[in-house]
Amino acid sequence: MPVRVEETSSSSSTSSSSSAPSQLSGENSSGHTSPPVCTLLTVGQAFSGTQNVSSLQKDEAWRVNVRIQGCDLDHGYLCGTMEALNVPMADTPVVTFWEGEIVDGKNYTFFTGKWEASSEDDTRHWTQFPSFQPFLEQVKVDGGKSLDLINYPYIFMRWKEQYFVNVGTDCGLTIAGFYYVCFSCTDGSINGFYYDPNSSPFQKLELKSTNEGRSGFSFSSYELQ
Amino acid sequence: MMSLFWIVIRQLAEIEAMAASKKVITREEWEKKLNDVKIRKEDMNKLVMNFLVTEGYVDAAEKFQMESGTEPDIDLATITDRMAVKKAVQCGNVEDAIEKVNDLNPEILDTNPQLFFHLQQQRFIELIRNGKVEEALEFAQEELAPRGEENQSFLEELERTVALLAFEDVSNCPVGGLLDISQRLKTASEVNAAILTSQSREKDPKLPSLLKMLLWAQNQLDEKAVYPRINDLSTAMLEDPAV
Amino acid sequence: MPTANTTIPIHGPVDLLTRLDSPDPETKLKALREIKNQIIGNRTKKLSFLKLGAVPAVASILSPYATEADSQLADSDVSTSNIIVQSAAVLGSFACGFDAGVRAVLDAGSFPHLIRLLFNPDEKVVDASARSLRMIYQSKLAPKYEFVQEKNMEFLISLINSECENVTGLGASIITHSCETSAEQRALCDAGVLKKLISLLEGSLSQKNATLESLAAVFKNNPEVISKFVGLENERAVEGSLSPRDSSLESLGTVLKNNPESVSKFVGPESGSALSSIIELTKDRYARTRLLACMCLIVIRNASPNYLQDVGIKAKLVYLLLELLDDPGQVGDEAPFVFSSLVAGKEDLQKLAFEDNAVNKFCNQLQKGQLHPKRLQGILLALADLCSKLEGCRLTFLSLKVLNQVIDALTHDCADVRTSACICLRSVTRSIKNLCAGYFMNEMLVISLIRLLDDPSVSAQVAALGAISNIVVDFTTRKSTFIQCGGIKQLVQLTKSMDSTVRFNALWALKNMMFLADDRCKEGIFLELTGSLLASLICDPEPCVQEQALALVRNLVDGCIKSIEYVFAEDGILLDAVGRQLHNVSDEVGIQGMYLLGNVASGNEFHKEAVMQQLLAQADNGAQSFVIKFLQSSDSRLRTAAVWVIVNLTFPSCPGAFGRLVQLKNAGIISQIRNMVNDSCLDVKLRVRTVITQSMTFGDGLA
Repeated sequence: MPVRVEETSSSSSTSSSSSAPSQLSGENSSGHTSPPVCTLLTVGQAFSGTQNVSSLQKDEAWRVNVRIQGCDLDHGYLCGTMEALNVPMADTPVVTFWEGEIVDGKNYTFFTGKWEASSEDDTRHWTQFPSFQPFLEQVKVDGGKSLDLINYPYIFMRWKEQYFVNVGTDCGLTIAGFYYVCFSCTDGSINGFYYDPNSSPFQKLELKSTNEGRSGFSFSSYELQ
Repeated sequence: MMSLFWIVIRQLAEIEAMAASKKVITREEWEKKLNDVKIRKEDMNKLVMNFLVTEGYVDAAEKFQMESGTEPDIDLATITDRMAVKKAVQCGNVEDAIEKVNDLNPEILDTNPQLFFHLQQQRFIELIRNGKVEEALEFAQEELAPRGEENQSFLEELERTVALLAFEDVSNCPVGGLLDISQRLKTASEVNAAILTSQSREKDPKLPSLLKMLLWAQNQLDEKAVYPRINDLSTAMLEDPAV
Repeated sequence: MPTANTTIPIHGPVDLLTRLDSPDPETKLKALREIKNQIIGNRTKKLSFLKLGAVPAVASILSPYATEADSQLADSDVSTSNIIVQSAAVLGSFACGFDAGVRAVLDAGSFPHLIRLLFNPDEKVVDASARSLRMIYQSKLAPKYEFVQEKNMEFLISLINSECENVTGLGASIITHSCETSAEQRALCDAGVLKKLISLLEGSLSQKNATLESLAAVFKNNPEVISKFVGLENERAVEGSLSPRDSSLESLGTVLKNNPESVSKFVGPESGSALSSIIELTKDRYARTRLLACMCLIVIRNASPNYLQDVGIKAKLVYLLLELLDDPGQVGDEAPFVFSSLVAGKEDLQKLAFEDNAVNKFCNQLQKGQLHPKRLQGILLALADLCSKLEGCRLTFLSLKVLNQVIDALTHDCADVRTSACICLRSVTRSIKNLCAGYFMNEMLVISLIRLLDDPSVSAQVAALGAISNIVVDFTTRKSTFIQCGGIKQLVQLTKSMDSTVRFNALWALKNMMFLADDRCKEGIFLELTGSLLASLICDPEPCVQEQALALVRNLVDGCIKSIEYVFAEDGILLDAVGRQLHNVSDEVGIQGMYLLGNVASGNEFHKEAVMQQLLAQADNGAQSFVIKFLQSSDSRLRTAAVWVIVNLTFPSCPGAFGRLVQLKNAGIISQIRNMVNDSCLDVKLRVRTVITQSMTFGDGLA
C-alpha cells in the first residue's frame, strides 16, 4: 500500500554495514527448508484489513485489500495487488502491484540485503512477530539458511510494491519502502510492517482471509503454460 | 624464424614475472638462445610445401618435392584442377568454371548457395561486359531472380547487380565497380576457397599467419625488453638493439 | 581483356531429355553432363526437370549397369564408366537438399542400383554412387537401414572401413539416419563401430562431420554406450601431442593470451579418453565441425549426467554456440537449435547463457530482419528456452523491443516459424509482472494469435493456444480486448476438435480466462460453451481434458456467489457429470473435481445439500464414497482438496451444518478425518483440525 510522501524524514537510517545479499543461488544443496504449500496463500486468494499510517499529528488507518496474483514457489516468488481504499488525497482506491520474496532458505534468507535495510533493521522488524522468536539466534548466525521451515505454520515474506496500477506516479504517494510480512497458515491471517527509512516506523498491516460473502472457502486457479 | 618465436614467448614469460624495467638482451645472448632451439628441417620444408600447394604453384611444388624430398600431403593433380577453375573465372569464362567445379565435386555448388549465386552473378556481369544485353536480361529472369526468391539475403546484391541493365554506359554508372577485374578476382578466390575446404584444406597458407604471429610477439616483447629485432621480414635480419 | 565465349549451347529441358534416349553414348553423356550442370545448386531447375520426368529417365540409364554381372562390368570401357558416374551424379544432385528429388529417386528404384554399384571395380563409379547415396541418406525420406541383421551389419562395417572417403561418409550417414532404438545403438557398439568412428574423426572434413553426426545418433539417450565410448583408449591423443603440427601451431595464440593452465584444464580431466577427441574438435577450424562437436557433447551430457558437468565446459559450449550464431550460412542457421538442446529445461545453463548476453545476441539477430526461415525458427525457439524459467531473461527480452518482430513472425509463410513464434511468446508471457500490467493485451498480438487458431498446421494451433492461455490470465479489465476480437467463439469451437491436444489446450486457455473473470465475461463464455458441452468435456475419454474442464468449472463457480448457479443449469447436468466422473479418476482429475465441489459447497444451504448428494450417492448403495478414497490418497494435494470440501460442508453457523455432519459421520467420512490429525502434510493437518474444531461446536455426541 502506498503511503504519503513525507516532507520531513521521520528517522534517518544511520545503520551500519548492510548484510549479505539475501538472493541465494537457486541450487542450494542444503535444500530441505521449503515452506509448506498452503492453500490459503495461493493465486486468487483475497485478504482485507487495515494499515496503520498514524503519525505524530493524527491517528489514521487505511482500509486495505490484497489479492495474490502469481506464485512460483521454486523461485520463492509471490506477487499480487494491494488496494488502499480511503486514501485522503486520492478520489479512487489506489491499486499497486507488489512482488514478494518468500524466506525459504533456498532463494531468500531473513536478511534483506537491499532496499536500504541493514541486518539490524531486519532483526528489529522480524522480532515484532512472536512466531519469529524461536529462529532469532540461528538467524543471527546465517540469516536462517539452515533452518527447517517446512513444518512451521508461519510463512515469512518481504513484499515490495513495484508500480501503481491505476494512478500516476505524481499522485503524492510513494511506494519506496517494503513490508516485512508474516502469514499464518492456520487461518490465513497476515501481519506486516512497512519499512521505509523515510516514513514513520512500524506502520502495521493487518489482514484476514476473506470469504467474499460465502459460507466457506472458495479457490480458483490458473496455470501458465 | 620459428626459433625466434619460441624465444620471444619464453622471454615474455620470464619478463612477466619481473619488475617493470626493460631488460636489455644483447645480440650475443639472443643468438645463443636462437641456436639452442632446434627446428627440424623437415618441418621448415613442410611449411614451404604447404605454401606452394595452397597458393597453387604446382610446378614449383614439383621441383621442391624433387629437391627436398618433401612429400606434398595432397595429390598435385587436384591442384591443377583447382587452378584451372580459378583461371577460368579470372578469364571470365564462368560456365566453364562451373562445369569444372561440378566435375571435381558436385556437392560444392549444391551445398553452397552463396558461392553458386556469386558465380551466376559473375556470369551475368560477363554478359553485360560483352554487350549481350538481351541474353543478360533473359539470364537475370531465368537464373538470378529465383536465387533471390530462394534466399532473401541475396536480394540486396541481386538488385545492385541487375541495376547494370538500366544504364547505357555501364562503365560509368554507380554499380560499374562490378565490371572491375577485382570482382572476377573476388569470385575466383571464393571458388578457390570452397574447393580447398571441400578437400579439407585450409584456405590460407600457414606461412603468412606465422609471420603475423612473429610481429605480434615482437610487439608484445617491445614493451618489456630491448633485443635484436627483425624489422624487415623479407631479409629477416636481426637488427642490434639501440642501447 | 579476355572475354567469355559460350561454346556449349544451352539446350532446353525437353530437348535434353530426348537426347538422353540417344543410342550414341557420346550424345547421351553430353546430355547427362548438361542436365547435371543445369540442376546443381539450382532448386528451380531441379523442380522443372523433375516435372518432366528426368529422374526415371536417368534411373533407367543407370539400371542395366547395376544389374549386369560384375565380371562384365570389369572390362567396360571409359565411356560406360563415365555414363554411370554422370548418371549417379545427376541422381545425387536431385536428392541433395530437395525432398521431392529424394522421393523421385527412390520411386524410380535407383536406391538398390546405387547400392549395387558400390561393389563395382571402378573406383570412380564407387565414389559417385556412394556420394549419391549419401545425399539420399541426408533426407528423412531415406529408407531405414536394418543393420541389426547380421549380414547388413557386415556390409555397414565394410563401408566404414573403406578407403574411399565418400563410402565411409555413407556408412556414417546410414548410422545417423537409421540408428534409433537403444538396441540398435548397442548393436553398433558391440560390433566395434565406435572405435572405427573415433579413428574417422581424424579424417577429412566431410568424414569428421559425418562421423560426429553418427556418434550423436549412437549416443542419444544411451548412457551405457556413452560410458563404453569414454572408456575407449584414444591413440590419437598420444600421437597427436608428439607431432608439432597445425593444431598446436594454431592454438598457440590462444595458449598465450589466456594462461596455459586454463587450456590444460579444459582438456585435462577427459584427456586420453575418447571424449577428448570430440572436445578437441570444438576448436576445429571449420565452423560446421565445431557445431557438430558441440552437438555431440550435448547429446552425451543430456544422456549421461556423469560427464561434462564441469562449469568450464558448460560455459565453453554456451560461448561456442553463441559465436557460431554469427556464421552467415547453414551453420549459423543450425546453431540456435543446438543451443536450444543445450539449455532446454536446464536453469543453470540458462543462467550461464544469460550472463553471456545470450538474450541480447539472439534479439540482435531478430532485429536484423530478412532471416532465413530456418534461422528465424531456431532463434525463436532458443529465445523460448532461454525465457522459459528465468524472469531476468524475459525482462531483458522485453527491454530489447523485439516483441514486434515476434508478432510479425506469427504471420510468416512458414508454419514452423509461426509455431516457434508462439512458443517464444508462451515463454515470455510467463512474466507475471508484465501480465499483471496488461502488457501483452496488445491488439496486434491478440489478433494475430486468434488468427492462428484457424491455422492449417495443428502444431501452430496448439502453440497459439499455449500463448493465449498465458495472455488471457490478465488481471486488469483488458480481457475485453480478447473477447472483442472474437477469441471466445474460436476457443469454444476448438474444444470440439477431434484432436485431444487441441481440446485440452483450448480448455486450458478458457480456464485461465475464467480465472477471476467478472460476471459478464463468465456469462459470455458460459453461453458459448453451454452446460451440456461442458458436461461432455468433463466426461471426455482423455483424462487431461477432463481435468481442464473441471478446473474451468471450478473457476466459473468461484467469485460472486450467484455464479454457483451455473452448475445447476440444464437440470444440474454439470454437477451430475462431476459426481459421476469422480468415481473413477486419476489424482489430477480428482483434485480439480474436489476443488469444484468445495467451491460449490461454500455457497448457501441448497448448494451444500447438492454437494452432499453427490458425495453420498454411492454410499446409499453401501459402497464407499469417493471422498474416503481421496482422503486416503498418497497425493497430499488431493487430500487437501478433499478436506476443504468437508470444511465447507460443516462450516459453522449454517442451519444444516449439524445434519450434514451426522450424515458424513454415518458414511465413515468423519472418522477418516479424525485419523488424519497428524497428517504428514502441514496443510492437510491444519484443515483436518479446522473440521474437528467445527464439529466440536455441536458437542461431543459425534466423537
